[in-house]
Amino acid sequence: MNKELPKEIERFNVTFRIQHVILLTTFLLLSFTGWALKYPEVEHSRWWIRLWGGPETAGTIHRVAGITMLLDFAWHVAYLVYLFATGRMKIAATTTIIPLPKDVFDVLKNYLYFFGFSKEKPKFGRFSYIHKFDYWAVFWGMGIIGSSGFILAFPVFASNFFPQFTLGWIWPTMRILHSDEALLAIVFILFWHFYNEHLKAGKFPMSWTWITGKISLETLKHEHPLDYEQRFGKTGEKSDE
Amino acid sequence: MRYRVFIAVSFLLVFLFPALAMAESCLICHSAMKGRMEGRKGFVVDVNIDSEKFSESKHGGLDCTGCHLTYKAQPHEPAKEAEVPAEVAELMPGTSLKGKTDPVALGACVGCHPDIYAGLKESVHGRNIFRKKQTDGPLCLDCHGNPHYIASASDKSSPVNHANVLRTCGRCHEEKEVVEKYGLSSHVIEKYKESFHGKKYILGHKKVPICNDCHGSHAVLEWDAPDSPVYGASKVKTCGRCHEGATEKFAAAPAHKYIGKENPIPYYGEKVLILLVFGVFGFTLSHVLLEAYSEMRDKLVRKEGRDE
Repeated sequence: MNKELPKEIERFNVTFRIQHVILLTTFLLLSFTGWALKYPEVEHSRWWIRLWGGPETAGTIHRVAGITMLLDFAWHVAYLVYLFATGRMKIAATTTIIPLPKDVFDVLKNYLYFFGFSKEKPKFGRFSYIHKFDYWAVFWGMGIIGSSGFILAFPVFASNFFPQFTLGWIWPTMRILHSDEALLAIVFILFWHFYNEHLKAGKFPMSWTWITGKISLETLKHEHPLDYEQRFGKTGEKSDE
Repeated sequence: MRYRVFIAVSFLLVFLFPALAMAESCLICHSAMKGRMEGRKGFVVDVNIDSEKFSESKHGGLDCTGCHLTYKAQPHEPAKEAEVPAEVAELMPGTSLKGKTDPVALGACVGCHPDIYAGLKESVHGRNIFRKKQTDGPLCLDCHGNPHYIASASDKSSPVNHANVLRTCGRCHEEKEVVEKYGLSSHVIEKYKESFHGKKYILGHKKVPICNDCHGSHAVLEWDAPDSPVYGASKVKTCGRCHEGATEKFAAAPAHKYIGKENPIPYYGEKVLILLVFGVFGFTLSHVLLEAYSEMRDKLVRKEGRDE
């Protein structure tokens, strides 16, 4: 094909980018101000919390950041609903973030490739299982950490909604849910998100898509071949070579 | 003008001198003396008083004989029993159990703090001493520290300062012997530290409630006594001091209960969550490491392989 191909395309529009920046800012604030409370008996926790203005101030930052994050999440969901309802977003197997059976096979295929049993990497759509895992983990976190955090921040209000028989165990359970799942989220972001978007060969120090929203055609072809084909057809690949 | 000041100062000095002289004259010896001595009744006493620390303390303005009531005559000649005020003498059966060297001085606090002492005597602590004649349970000094250097509770060095209360209460409530002897709830200090309040407290939060904030201090009662501030309707009120609008349902929250097998949902819930953390951790780590390995392998071995 002789048609001029663009050098890069937009992967995330400005709304998604703003939502992501709010998410990462509040995530970092929440992790930093909440961390000391996970292991308060450790010597350095007192030192660390003082960096954040002491336990009282850190608590305020944590609550404000938490509510901001929940609002950001609500905005994101509402935006998706809007995009879908107005027909601006269509659900297709190669572009969707929704997990499909193909993702399970992709995981297996990728492991085969890692071990050297297969010479072929799985072909990903717009969102690989790595991205999908990353994305839905946020939903899990919002549900578990967000709701338990909200309950812990407004205990008098929340207590009205708990049935009598739960009162003996609901509070320690909420505290455990909040702190253990937060630890999980931090570990997950550190290993999964940081490796895949920052440290991976060719990406260090980071993929700039989160700021520019753009992805080069080259990268699109390598990392999201199915998305590439969906946009430009198989012929694009040939014309490039 | 100068003249007038001079008169005023000398006037004051004339009146203050006897008082100053009295504390000072004891301290002439006792600030210089070092170490311990065996007293008349055979008890070893620390004879040194740090006069500077004493004068800076809450009671630095008092005379020695303000508390050491039996030491009116110099030097150290005990006064007759009759000279000890009745309200102090009345306490002697209790204070003599706790302080062997000068039980009178130990009871002398009542002279200035009668209401507090009355509350203490009827408290769960005081009853143990004054009624049950036990040596366990605190009198003034057990919590407020060395009588000569008592600091105000807002002072960080005070054992009853917010930051030190847990340790001070723990001196008995963490003692296995005391806990078993009186059938107290065990591991309360540990349980508190595990609680949400406790975790913040350890981090140095200044507004988080510590033992006395909910249980009371001098007049502390058994937690399930009808007048206890952490029992029944009073608990709702106590919680409500910080948690505005607290209801009975809210106050039903366990403030410091062990997360043990007797509370299976949080106990096993935590185990499941830990499994989940390790599961996710294992998957992500293996994926990341293997992928990094395969990338390096491709770079080194299969140089041509990238575009396939």
